[in-house]
Amino acid sequence: MRLTKRRQATSTVIGIGLLAVMLFPVYWMVNTSLQSGNVGASSTLVPLHPTLAAYRLALSQQGGDIVTSLTISCGTVLLSLAIAAPAAYVLAKSRIRGRSVILLALVITQMVPGIVIANSLYPAFDQLGLLNSRLGLVLADTSTALPFAILIMRAFMVSLPGEIIEAARVDGAGLVRTFVSIVLPVSRNAVITAGLFAFLFSWSDFLFALTLTTGTNLTPVTLGIYSYLGGEIQSWGPVMATGVLSALPAIVLLAFAQRFIAVGQLNGAVK
Amino acid sequence: MKTRDRPSTLTGGQATASGTPRRTRGRRLRQDRAVTWLFLLPALIYIALFFGYPIVKNVMMGSENYTTATFYTGSAPWVGWANYSSFLSSSLAGTTFLNTAVFTVGSIAGQFTIGLAIALFFRRRFPLSGLLRSLLLLPWLLPLIAGAAVWRWILDQDSGVLNSTLLHLHLVHTSVPWLSSPGMALYSVIIVNVWIGIPFNVTLLYSGMQGIPEEHYEAAAIDGAAGWKAFRYITWPALRPVVTVVLVLGVIYTLKVVDIILGLTGGGPANATQTLATTAYQDSFVQFAFGQGAAVNNILLVVSLLFAGLYLRVNRRASDE
Amino acid sequence: MNRQGSRSTRVLVAATTCAALALALAGCSSSGGSSSSGTSAATRLNLTVEDYYSQPAAAAYDNIYNACAKQLGDTVTISHIAGAALIPKVLQQVSSKTMPDVLMLDNPDVDQIAATGALSPLSNYGITGDGYIPGIIAAGSYKGTLYGLAPAVNSLGLFYNVTMFKAANLKPPTTWAQLQVDAKTLTKPGQYGFAFSGVNTYEGTWQFMPWMWTNGGNEKSIDTPQTAQALQLLTSLVQDGSASKSVVLWTQADVESQFAAGKAAMMENGPWNIALLQGVSGLDWASVPLPTPQAGQKPVAPLGGETYTVPQTGNSAKMAAAGKMVACINSDANQVAISKAVAYVPAKISVGEQFAKTNPLLAPYVTVVQTARSRTGELGNNWDTAATAIYTAEQLALTGKDSPAAALKQAQGQ
Repeated sequence: MRLTKRRQATSTVIGIGLLAVMLFPVYWMVNTSLQSGNVGASSTLVPLHPTLAAYRLALSQQGGDIVTSLTISCGTVLLSLAIAAPAAYVLAKSRIRGRSVILLALVITQMVPGIVIANSLYPAFDQLGLLNSRLGLVLADTSTALPFAILIMRAFMVSLPGEIIEAARVDGAGLVRTFVSIVLPVSRNAVITAGLFAFLFSWSDFLFALTLTTGTNLTPVTLGIYSYLGGEIQSWGPVMATGVLSALPAIVLLAFAQRFIAVGQLNGAVK
Repeated sequence: MKTRDRPSTLTGGQATASGTPRRTRGRRLRQDRAVTWLFLLPALIYIALFFGYPIVKNVMMGSENYTTATFYTGSAPWVGWANYSSFLSSSLAGTTFLNTAVFTVGSIAGQFTIGLAIALFFRRRFPLSGLLRSLLLLPWLLPLIAGAAVWRWILDQDSGVLNSTLLHLHLVHTSVPWLSSPGMALYSVIIVNVWIGIPFNVTLLYSGMQGIPEEHYEAAAIDGAAGWKAFRYITWPALRPVVTVVLVLGVIYTLKVVDIILGLTGGGPANATQTLATTAYQDSFVQFAFGQGAAVNNILLVVSLLFAGLYLRVNRRASDE
Repeated sequence: MNRQGSRSTRVLVAATTCAALALALAGCSSSGGSSSSGTSAATRLNLTVEDYYSQPAAAAYDNIYNACAKQLGDTVTISHIAGAALIPKVLQQVSSKTMPDVLMLDNPDVDQIAATGALSPLSNYGITGDGYIPGIIAAGSYKGTLYGLAPAVNSLGLFYNVTMFKAANLKPPTTWAQLQVDAKTLTKPGQYGFAFSGVNTYEGTWQFMPWMWTNGGNEKSIDTPQTAQALQLLTSLVQDGSASKSVVLWTQADVESQFAAGKAAMMENGPWNIALLQGVSGLDWASVPLPTPQAGQKPVAPLGGETYTVPQTGNSAKMAAAGKMVACINSDANQVAISKAVAYVPAKISVGEQFAKTNPLLAPYVTVVQTARSRTGELGNNWDTAATAIYTAEQLALTGKDSPAAALKQAQGQ
């Protein structure tokens, strides 16, 4: 939608206002992380004696964890999309028998509480030697992301007009070629969105990180926060600092990915 | 423009190029069928491996007397329906069901409508829109433990910044007991859950809207249909498959929510925010009555299944168009 | 002749020296302890220790584990698993038979885990717990057998703001009646007289125990007048405005936060807050035992503190070493070290009394823990049901949904 310059400026202002309201709790989090002294219910509106102590502590202890989380999340995205995209396409466009059952199964997987999966994975991974490994966490996080990715991409692909696929088939393209050269590019939004959520699920996963590591060498950033929350003392300053720090790389990546969500890629595709 | 889906558009239908010998077409079809299943196979294997056993085990646990001792000895005597009847006949069951319903309906209504409105707003192109849209994901990205703590401080009756602001602006006369009053706590928790769920809805709906070709709107504008009419006749129908997924998954995820509620109120005050999910969690990990917890989880599963059934029904109708 | 004589003398001296050396060497190797006996690599074990501490407490414990391991000639791998996540992790390990060699368990959890059969009796390693506070031995025992021993313990006391008390010309309350009056007097806009935690978790139950127990209430049946009176005390404090209505949401950390910010004149909390409170500039505080129903009574407070256990791992060499490790962690010196580091008090009575002399801030707690009671002492691994009933009733009463007596009756029946 093209707007006049004036309407554009107004929209920006409204947008910022909207974000200010939505992100006030985030501001509070940053505010808390910068406060010296006793933080908690008694934090002031603006940090009176701002200090970076919490950030220094968080960085020194959690720096490496961010890299770990990045590796695992990227791995999850790649694996999930690789498995989900073809499956989503088939479930969107073909009338295979059992399609409804498969869809139902996918939806059912979303109903299972994570702790149930985690409890079952622990002994299995222990025997396979996958505990404390990046690969193990990628596999576990993919299990969370996969059904969702399939369902979302399928929803997008259902609207793909049949003509462009038929056209490719008429030209003699095999199923795989059609998928790779026609369907995927046209489904760009779907793939990027699914990948975005796979990244989000994996980045913010705490349960599998806790269950499938033994706290010694591999600690994704979500676990780092909990290292400040054991026992009775709760140090909220470092918790908030770690929380903010952990969100930043993810936001940067996601902002980058969102640029690729294009308008109406089907423009002109249907001749 | 949309045309009717022909049967199996994967293969472009039976009536492909004329003159193709029947035998080649047959082979082609068989190849296609094989590749089709190959596309599906990795996903199916993954699901079966990671979800098959846990689901079955959890369903069975609902009918077992599963205690901490079971973890060591492995024995869990079968008790049939005892866990279920014990929960359903408890005085808390009614409250729990009601809270779950209110929490779910309130959260979804809030998240979806606000999310849709924001997504529509972002359809305009204005400076910083991309950046703002990305920053909107922050509520979802930040760890729940931190988010819940911050909200608890904001909503604190005495020293919370929300009450201070409201009192300052003379919008209320006494401080509001957002989380400390059994009557209000559930609604406050819903507000926080809506806040967390908005990014999910905005991102998916916005993405879906971006897939609608600009030409449709231009053509409609020529015919004089813009604004609300454009939304009703172009945006909404085109978004239907995405909306269906967003709503059904949204309901399922909301039914499962535990961390936010426990982080804000612990299920209180006086069980005002106790839902099926929090009850199941507390049964298992606070009281160590795992069989009981699994039973409540299974009840939750049945409720979710009802929605899933709805999803398939609506889905079938949509794809039949 | 001389030369021959000197030669034999030299031989004699040499022989004596050799014999002496040989005897000395033999003596060394036999008294050198298990670490240098055998000298084969197999005796150097790697023990896994698991606990739930977070920084900075974790660093202090790490030092102790490492020092103890060094003393035994073994190495140690330490896992810190934050707070509430420890028990689910332990259960996973129980079912997959991958338990650590030394497992720290919060004392109310010992019965739950011991009931599974996954722990080994500490008497196997010569640990008896003699001279320890009776409460902590009760907490660490299941069906009369000791499974977990705690080096240091904590409890609950009354913290008060000295400045505010001086300004109001008051002394810290010693009876319930005085508590109510003082709290009311010290309440004004922006400041509550008293703060405690009545949250919907075991933490709320923990904070209720001193009131219940000192008044004669019992967790076996909470539907009694004594317990109702205790609940009535807390309810009346909330109802007359001396305590915030938010107590139903506050954890002990929140309560400390309120007190440190000067928003509460008194708080019910534990000694682990001392380091935090000392760091708050401008706060003049002190702590005393909690008030009792009548004058002159001794408060019966709950016992906190983490025990060390030896799980059944099936490896007898490691289990023996783990037993020694637990004994080492519980040594007198380590009890003092831990108590100093995390502001607890030693669990051995004699060590505690000595400790009180050099640590005045913790002295009130040394007295309190001697009469403190363990939560699982009577109900064992059925404590969880009672604890849930207690905080449920407390929430009903504090929010005004039910009278204390009715709330307790309803909760007991559930």
